[in-house]
Amino acid sequence: MAISDDVLVIGGGIAGATAALAAAEEGADVRLVTHKQSTLRNASGLIDVLGYTHEGEGPIVDPFDRLEELPESHPYRRVGTEAVREALSFFDEVAGDAYAGDHTDANALVPTHGGTVKPTARYPVSTAAGLASDPRDTLLVGFETLTDFDAPLAASHLEAAGAPFAARGVTLRFPGIVRDDAKLTRYAHLLDREEPVETAAGERSAREALAATVKPHLEGESRVGFPALLGDEFADEVRAELADRLGADVFEVPMGPPSLPGMRLEDLLYEALEDAGVRVVSGVPVVGYETDDDGTIDHVLVDRHGQEIPHEAGQYVLATGGLVGKGVRSERDRAFEPIFDCHVPHADDRYDWFVDDVFGEQPYARFGVVPDRELRPLDADEEPEFSNLRAAGAVLGGYDYAAEKSGAGVSLATGYVAGGRAGAEASR
Amino acid sequence: MSDAERPMDDHVPGEEEGFEPIEVFPEAEEMDLRPGADNCYKCSTCDTNCPVAEVDDEFPGPKFQGPEQWRLKRQSDHDIDDSVMKCSNCMRCDSACPSEVPLSQMHNTARAEYVEENMSKLSREYWRNRMLSNYRKLAPIAATFPRTANFVMGLSVTQWMGEKVMGITGEREFPEFATQTFRGWWAERGGNDTSRERARAARAERGEDVENPRKRIAYFHGCYSNYNTPEVAKALVRVYEHLGYEVMVPEQACSGTPMFANGMLEDARLAAETNVRELADAIENGADIVASCSSCSMSIRQEYPELFDFEGTEDVAANTWDAVEYLRVHEDLKGELEGTAVDGEFAYHAPCHARNQGLDGQTVEVLSAIDGIDVEDVGDSCSGISGTYGWKEENYETSMKIGEEMFEHMEDAEATTGLTECPTCSMQMGHGTGYEITHTLEVLEAALVGAER
Amino acid sequence: MAHDTEVLVLGGGSTGCGIARDLAMRGVEVTLVERGNLTDGTTGRMHGLLHSGGRYAVSDQASAVECIEENEILREIAGHCVETTGGLFVQRPEDPDDYFREKLEGCRDCDIPARVLSGREAREVEPYLAEDVKRAIQVPDGAVDPFRLCVANAVDAENYGARIETHAEVIDLLREGDDIYGVEVRHESGPGKRTHGTPGTTEEITAEYVVNATGAWAGQIGAMADLDVEVRPSKGVMTIMNVRQVDTVINRCRPKGDADIVVPHETTAILGTTDEEVTDPDDYPEEQWEVDMMIDTLSELVPILEEARTIRSFWGVRPLYEPPGRGTTDPTDITRDFFLLDHEERDGVSGMSSIVGGKFTTYRAMAEEISNHVCEQLGVRASCATAEEALPGSENLAVLEEGMDDFGLRSPIARRSKQRLGSRSQEVLETDEPNPVVCQCEGVTRAEVQDAIDQSGSDLNAVRIRTRASMGNCQGGFCCQNMANELHPEYDEATTREALDELFQERWKGERHALWGEQLSQAMLNYALHATTMNRDNDPASHTEAVDYGAFDSGDSSVRPSSRRRSGGD
Repeated sequence: MAISDDVLVIGGGIAGATAALAAAEEGADVRLVTHKQSTLRNASGLIDVLGYTHEGEGPIVDPFDRLEELPESHPYRRVGTEAVREALSFFDEVAGDAYAGDHTDANALVPTHGGTVKPTARYPVSTAAGLASDPRDTLLVGFETLTDFDAPLAASHLEAAGAPFAARGVTLRFPGIVRDDAKLTRYAHLLDREEPVETAAGERSAREALAATVKPHLEGESRVGFPALLGDEFADEVRAELADRLGADVFEVPMGPPSLPGMRLEDLLYEALEDAGVRVVSGVPVVGYETDDDGTIDHVLVDRHGQEIPHEAGQYVLATGGLVGKGVRSERDRAFEPIFDCHVPHADDRYDWFVDDVFGEQPYARFGVVPDRELRPLDADEEPEFSNLRAAGAVLGGYDYAAEKSGAGVSLATGYVAGGRAGAEASR
Repeated sequence: MSDAERPMDDHVPGEEEGFEPIEVFPEAEEMDLRPGADNCYKCSTCDTNCPVAEVDDEFPGPKFQGPEQWRLKRQSDHDIDDSVMKCSNCMRCDSACPSEVPLSQMHNTARAEYVEENMSKLSREYWRNRMLSNYRKLAPIAATFPRTANFVMGLSVTQWMGEKVMGITGEREFPEFATQTFRGWWAERGGNDTSRERARAARAERGEDVENPRKRIAYFHGCYSNYNTPEVAKALVRVYEHLGYEVMVPEQACSGTPMFANGMLEDARLAAETNVRELADAIENGADIVASCSSCSMSIRQEYPELFDFEGTEDVAANTWDAVEYLRVHEDLKGELEGTAVDGEFAYHAPCHARNQGLDGQTVEVLSAIDGIDVEDVGDSCSGISGTYGWKEENYETSMKIGEEMFEHMEDAEATTGLTECPTCSMQMGHGTGYEITHTLEVLEAALVGAER
Repeated sequence: MAHDTEVLVLGGGSTGCGIARDLAMRGVEVTLVERGNLTDGTTGRMHGLLHSGGRYAVSDQASAVECIEENEILREIAGHCVETTGGLFVQRPEDPDDYFREKLEGCRDCDIPARVLSGREAREVEPYLAEDVKRAIQVPDGAVDPFRLCVANAVDAENYGARIETHAEVIDLLREGDDIYGVEVRHESGPGKRTHGTPGTTEEITAEYVVNATGAWAGQIGAMADLDVEVRPSKGVMTIMNVRQVDTVINRCRPKGDADIVVPHETTAILGTTDEEVTDPDDYPEEQWEVDMMIDTLSELVPILEEARTIRSFWGVRPLYEPPGRGTTDPTDITRDFFLLDHEERDGVSGMSSIVGGKFTTYRAMAEEISNHVCEQLGVRASCATAEEALPGSENLAVLEEGMDDFGLRSPIARRSKQRLGSRSQEVLETDEPNPVVCQCEGVTRAEVQDAIDQSGSDLNAVRIRTRASMGNCQGGFCCQNMANELHPEYDEATTREALDELFQERWKGERHALWGEQLSQAMLNYALHATTMNRDNDPASHTEAVDYGAFDSGDSSVRPSSRRRSGGD
């Protein structure tokens, strides 16, 4: 067959990318097929492992301490605590200096754009100076045209949340932005490319102009937080230059969607994929599959504008995401996994898919395939659907990543295990 | 007599036969795409992929231009925001959307409606856009007198006139016209008959059945490789013939890409009608369609079925392929390339319209089987020219800003030759770096056919 | 005895606000009290149909005539709340010809302009109609935004000196002997605009005359003074589609039945409805079969509905009333006419009348009639002017149509803003400050949100009904937070947080009924945004247990200076 690899990963988010990297590390030839862009761009870019128990207890200081308490069906229990640790180290290696938090097992509390704090195991280096457990006084800067971050409100919210520092917010006009509906990427580009902007003092580079706009509002605070828009490709430089000019540490408050930290994480993962020799095919969906006589998957079909092109591999990893990523879909009377039709447990009555409190224990948030310890999706009789298919990330069910703050961690851990096993088996 | 006073029997006024809903919209600008907004969950992934919104805050991004603007529409509303003309039609938003919103279809339709309802038919902009999008109609004249045309286009006075009178940027050099068009060469070479013989000979040499009706393709060369870069088209013919394929070159009009981008949907419809008819004939004759230009294949595969409903449109779309992709799927291209060698370093840029077809990793993957070659992908940014977009005086700066990232990455790469599959990307790459730019098929030709030509 | 006000109107729905405006325009001193927000009862829970009368042309011609008259008046006085969509009564092949004929005759009898279209012609008007529809009757149905209309009445009443008190629940009727002289209300946060988190007070408001315009709740109010008001609340479901599949009101042309209407409403289409009697207008089951029936049955007329996205469903209770002794069992058969119950005549208790039954389209006529009655009681001689005087936002609409600038907004945003604000557009939208869009689904800008906050205080649901912000396809997932941000700094952080939580929960309430397909994905994305990205579900500010910040990672001190170091990019 024309297109053939050892391992084929379907899905290009954290779980898919991690699976592909882990498989490649085992020496396998790996192809990653991703339909559209992953939901990483919606996510905050934080790598959370476990912020709250499944019973809502938290914030948890040491997530690794609590994994054993989770229910047996939880993906973390399926792969085991050690695998979670290994996956995190694997991520640390891939991310290098771009992420922080690996110096301790303790969670960090990162200020959010809603003014709360969120527990997370790893965080983009751009957020590092903003941690809520760091007692330095803080100035938050918001912009008139960005309606989802109100800095003065977020500052009072942080104080109401008991954060151990004084926080103050100001709302300013972003120099160089002429339209009220300019996209977040526009702000980042201005700073990345040091575009010249008009200011009262004449033409200045965008970074210089921004610093000059903020500086008069500093009242001795030693750190300044901005909504996460401080550059994309050259984010480190942008932050460093602003810090220099302001004489204070500069950090970002994760926002989203859309989320620049999420985009940067995506770039980081895709660069790693390229370095690892993973072949990435994007923009086309996997729409079906054929099995061998023994029921293993022989090849999947990739739809290219009406042509179904077979893609063959020895091992497959399903990392298509959950309800948001469309790896799990639903109709009025059912929830299902659309490519292999793997079993997705759910109540027959869709009025049992939700509870009335919006932040209550939502059954729909747990929709997904149920894997065995090898991460092979199980059918209704608890037998593996296919011997050469594993699943990773949000397509897995049985946990509520939003309530637990465990989305990135589960994706990493299951992607690492599923990819590693697939790679080892395929190159055997 | 008012209708209310009609005798009230069970008579049904009007007639029902043969009434299909699609006929309600004979004009594409009346297409109701509001239901397409159902798929949008507002995540803004499209916006983060828009190369224009990133450099120009006058452009409110694809989410607004697409699902939001459509959802706010009532049937009678026709005031499309003029910012739709700033969309470069790179179609990146299509492959970005995690939720299957038909973004570019919405943009194309809105743009057509804007041009129809809001743009003065007497304006310079309208005529400039019309001229740019109908390059195919002007090119034959230039191609008849290529040397004169190239000379005239190169004159500073022509460039000045272009900018001042037509709003075409004077910063760019007009593409040179070849002294012999591809079709001229093809006819002179003996057309399809010659190709059939060559394919037979190749099959014999390859130890295949000499008669193989399945190894037959119809080549959609598009305008640019006909008038300006016939070496790309010739490379395609030679590569396919080398692998035992009989090549046919059907009659064809412009693929429509520049017309969609300029909201000239009627011009596009005329062109598409010809193409669908001719290509459907070729399919009938047992051929698959291949294109060497990524925008041409994009247009036929995606935009035709989204915007038109000629008989055979779907069939033509489903049987059209990118020329390299076709070989990758139908031949053991990797095996063919093993043992071949090309000495060269290339900085490869994947055109947005190849990306959109899931082909962005293909070139690097395929060419890596050739010995001695080094192909470096210069990243996923947009070149910024987007067909006719970067030719417009008002977009030139934006276009170059978008291209900045690609230029930098090209310069960072070892190579000093560029590689891509899109003619206008190729212009932009050359314009921004001064590099020579080649086409993947030319590299394949060098590897597979070599000095055989 | 000196009274606080001449007339006290109970109920801030269309009838109550209509009465308040009518009386205030006649120079009467009016106070209106409403338990929740304006429109919270039945007014905000209807399908938004501006009846041509066509729906009653066979069964209830008196109502039909009244509808077409009021329909024409509302187009004039409330142009910015009304969309003249036109309507179709569509006959499918299996629907009876007899009824089609009766409908057409009925329309003619009632002077409702009606025209017969062939199936093909109907589909030219509405391309998404089923291919096999047989024919249709075209009538001047319209769509009306009940929120805007009701609020405009209240605002105008205030302009004429009325006092409008929302979030003021009547807890007792003040009755002395056989005279009712006022009410006791419990203010949620004190008189005036509601402020979240502010403790409430109670207040006795006395009046010369009390009008009970609480619709389906009229029985409960009556009971406070031992009066029997036999309302028979009947629930009906309405399912909101994400987009307008139709731009014309589509009625099924067959004898009475459930799920027989699609109303294009603002950016959406509303499917309706069911008709089931309930005992308590505040507590009745909202059931899955009702939603499924809307989609399945109406797909017979508009097949695309089967696959289309619904964003929420809501139920309303009709304030049906039947004079004692009729004994109709099926609520569908209860008349839609309204009744003015003068408790003095009826029960020998003076000082109050109740108004029950009726329908939204004729709210003004009802208000006129009851205002006449009240004026008679008070000896006021001024006559009604509500049929002639335009509501705020609808004065001089011609000027608006002639082209006003777009206030620096993208044209679809400007168009929608002007459609909502009418002649108030300039006053609201003209600003030197940045005016970004706060709600992207509905195209609502900061200036419009601020205008609504000025009107209604910290209550974001009140902002919502005024602006439509958070009523689009993300159901507030992306803009609730942004709307709450607009409350600050006028309102403090705790108030803002409470207002946000209330709006987000309210949005969820209706969205629950649309949880499959795209809307379930949307719900998960909203949940992820609010819980994962913002951690609003475990907000330490809302929890009593303090977080031990010192126990968490405070940063790696060995690399702390790195953020200050000028690095070389990546």
